[in-house]
Amino acid sequence: MSLSTHNLSVGYHDHVIVKQVNLNIPEGKIIALLGPNGCGKSTLLKSLARILKPMSGEVRWQDNNLHTLPANFLAKNLALLPQTQPIPEGISVRDLVAYGRSPYTGFWGRLNAEDKRIIQQVMQETEIIKLADQWVSELSGGQRQRVWLAMTLAQDTPYLLLDEPTTYMDLSHQVELMHLLRKLNLQGKTIITVLHDINQAARYCDHLIVMKQGQIITQGSPESVLTKAMLKDVFALDAQIYQDPIAKTPMCVVE
Amino acid sequence: MKTLSLSALLLCVMCVLVMMNLSFGAVSLTFNDLLSGFQPTSEFYFTIHEYRLPRTLLAMLVGGMMALSGTLVQGVIRNPLASPDVLGVSHGAGLAAVLLMTLYPDVSVYWLPWTALCGGLLAALVLWLLCGSHSSAIKLAITGIALATLYGSLVDFLMLTRPLEINNALLWLTGSLWGRGWDQVTMILPWLILVPVAFWLAKRINLVQLGDDVATSLGVSIPVTRLAVLAIAVGMTAACVSICGPIGFLGLVAPHLARRLVGGRHQILLPCAILVGMTLLLLADLVARTIDPPIELPAGIMTAILGAPYFLWLLFRTK
Amino acid sequence: MKSFLQKLPFLGQCIALSFLLCVFAWLSLFTWSIIPISGTQALSALTSPNPNNIAHRIILDLRLPRVLIAGTVGACLAVAGAIMQGLTRNPLASPSVLGVNAGAALGMATVSTVAPWLGVFGTSVAAIIGGAITWSLVMILGTAWRGGNEHGRLVLAGVAISALCAALTKAMIMLYEDQAVGVMTWLAGSVADARWSDWQPLWPMALFGLSAAFLVGPTLNLLNLGEDSARSLGVKLGLVRMICSVLVLILVGAALSAAGAIAFVGLLVPHIARALTGQDYRKILPLTAIMGATLVVLADVVSRAIIFPMETPAGAIIALIGAPFFIYMVRSKTS
Repeated sequence: MSLSTHNLSVGYHDHVIVKQVNLNIPEGKIIALLGPNGCGKSTLLKSLARILKPMSGEVRWQDNNLHTLPANFLAKNLALLPQTQPIPEGISVRDLVAYGRSPYTGFWGRLNAEDKRIIQQVMQETEIIKLADQWVSELSGGQRQRVWLAMTLAQDTPYLLLDEPTTYMDLSHQVELMHLLRKLNLQGKTIITVLHDINQAARYCDHLIVMKQGQIITQGSPESVLTKAMLKDVFALDAQIYQDPIAKTPMCVVE
Repeated sequence: MKTLSLSALLLCVMCVLVMMNLSFGAVSLTFNDLLSGFQPTSEFYFTIHEYRLPRTLLAMLVGGMMALSGTLVQGVIRNPLASPDVLGVSHGAGLAAVLLMTLYPDVSVYWLPWTALCGGLLAALVLWLLCGSHSSAIKLAITGIALATLYGSLVDFLMLTRPLEINNALLWLTGSLWGRGWDQVTMILPWLILVPVAFWLAKRINLVQLGDDVATSLGVSIPVTRLAVLAIAVGMTAACVSICGPIGFLGLVAPHLARRLVGGRHQILLPCAILVGMTLLLLADLVARTIDPPIELPAGIMTAILGAPYFLWLLFRTK
Repeated sequence: MKSFLQKLPFLGQCIALSFLLCVFAWLSLFTWSIIPISGTQALSALTSPNPNNIAHRIILDLRLPRVLIAGTVGACLAVAGAIMQGLTRNPLASPSVLGVNAGAALGMATVSTVAPWLGVFGTSVAAIIGGAITWSLVMILGTAWRGGNEHGRLVLAGVAISALCAALTKAMIMLYEDQAVGVMTWLAGSVADARWSDWQPLWPMALFGLSAAFLVGPTLNLLNLGEDSARSLGVKLGLVRMICSVLVLILVGAALSAAGAIAFVGLLVPHIARALTGQDYRKILPLTAIMGATLVVLADVVSRAIIFPMETPAGAIIALIGAPFFIYMVRSKTS
């Protein structure tokens, strides 16, 4: 297990949001963090990405406390796409994606051939080649989301942490994103993503982690996690579980 | 390629301005006078060597450093409307200078820059003590503004309770290159050491643009970077202000012009901003000296007047 | 005392604060005078004036207009601040922070240095025009940048506009050096030279501005919910902005032309009122008016006392109290 938490509590100021969580992130899977608003899923994701310092307990990378490891080493292993991004001025799409290579470049940020190849490749995968020379500030919300995703992918890390990556995207780009995640997963990446859409999570993810009030309620394969009892308990919803006619994964229909 | 040609163009404009600064003034010199003026035998040697040359050099140094610190501040505060002024440094320096002028009017002018420098650095220290390194960027900026307002009201209070020194104080507070010579140039030279440090940080400043979370995940320590970059900006601003007084709008406008010319990558933006700053201050000082000789307007007012229309346009463009 | 005031019903709060205002006003009538005047003389001058009594003359000709103007100016500025905060939904909005004072100062300095023959009326008009220009700049920006985290941005814009106006004002002052102290005093804001002639133009504008301001209270409450919600509740946003802006300009213009640019009243007072009564603008506005008046009257007393017999502008005193408060506000209101 590369990434795990041990009695992890995280929060802002005095307010504890994630409470005493013990979690092993299964390697090589697509993992979805689910739960109602304010359950602490984004906070947990940010502490896995070492953005938030634990109040108590720790996040471990292999057997080391995450916060004791060198920043550049972690930057080559964990990439985070936050929920909202600033809109930098005077930066072209290609420049922004290139910033994802910065853990690998020298102090001046000069790109070598390998860097350029990876940048080109992730721009193709996220379908932003045509936007390459536009300013980031001129893009639409969905386009910008894809540019940022490309930047995160350019970081070329075995672990990818995404906070609601489908927000602002139209349906077809959502589907494309989930397919892209599957493809990256097949290349060996572990992907941890916060999602709102339970059915989307059940269809595309291998492992679901359900949170409520800062604690993990249940986790496991979609089939084992997505139950009537869980939906009632966590989301206070009465729902039926059916099998998705195409993907054969479970899906819930609210009564 | 575009960047290169733009830089070359900027350099040319700057050289022309340097020539103009050397030749125009109370006595206008021809190009030949100018060339011969560098020989000690020339009748213009004194004018050029003792007055115009140090002043032109100082305009370039101060203009470049103000623009650089403005770019740095806008970079880490992540707000295009920020400027070194939002750190309260120039107001702190102003307060120290006015304190000296009003409370100890007999002290030699020699101490004025040093006092102002201490005031500026002290002001930055107060801001840092109030905010620490973990405050959000915008909170830092607004706390700085609030502190600047406090220093400003103290300055007003001092000036109003001791009206005799009001004109001297006002003159200093507007920022001017008038009467500055080689002494001031040598005072500011050591601060140039910060320029390469700023360049070395350029890559990190780029990543700070991406937001605290992403920058952290790309391996940049936000508190350390912000502290380092702001410290450089504070040092350079305090140095400039202590010598020329607060020259407004230069640190706000020059980075913007530079960004429009070459975009937002700091490896290119920083040098370009320096060039723009130099050009602007040379221009401002030239206009200030030659608009109605022998009366001189303070260069600080000229930068404000030159910068204002651009700034307003900028405000409306920012969405 | 604050908690005692907080517990009172709204009307009780009004009465208690008005009582406080009366006490300060009374103090202001007789304290720190070069010719000793007693408190009872101050009262008798109001009830049975005797033109031959020198103390009565001082009170009626110098002190009374000064107190009235100080109080009115305070009320106007404070209410203007409250309206601005309501309109922009920005806790840091106020005439001084958003650059309206600086704009008015620039207008005033321009006229009094370049065209002094226009007289007091001309400078007032210039002040109002200058303030109007900066305020409309801020309003246009404020409507262009909607959303929660733009508080800081609006303030930065205001600061930059202020800095610009201040630079230009300084240029004006320096070009006409002999005016420096006068203009500086005006810029800091002072009621030291207030006479009955200043009261004449002030009171109708203030009366109109304040009473109209109390009428927009309910609308400001709706605006507080956010612009989209307010619109769907039937608020005509454009009209409301227009009316409120005009009110702000009338109030600020009246205050500035009578007493100069007293900063921080508009920032400070609405927040104290909010602490006393909560978010209801129908209550905030009257309380703000009373407390603004109290603050400026008090500052005026202090301004006479601090280096007696010289006078310090009351605005400088308020700035010295207000600036630390501003720092405190910034630290608690922006995340």
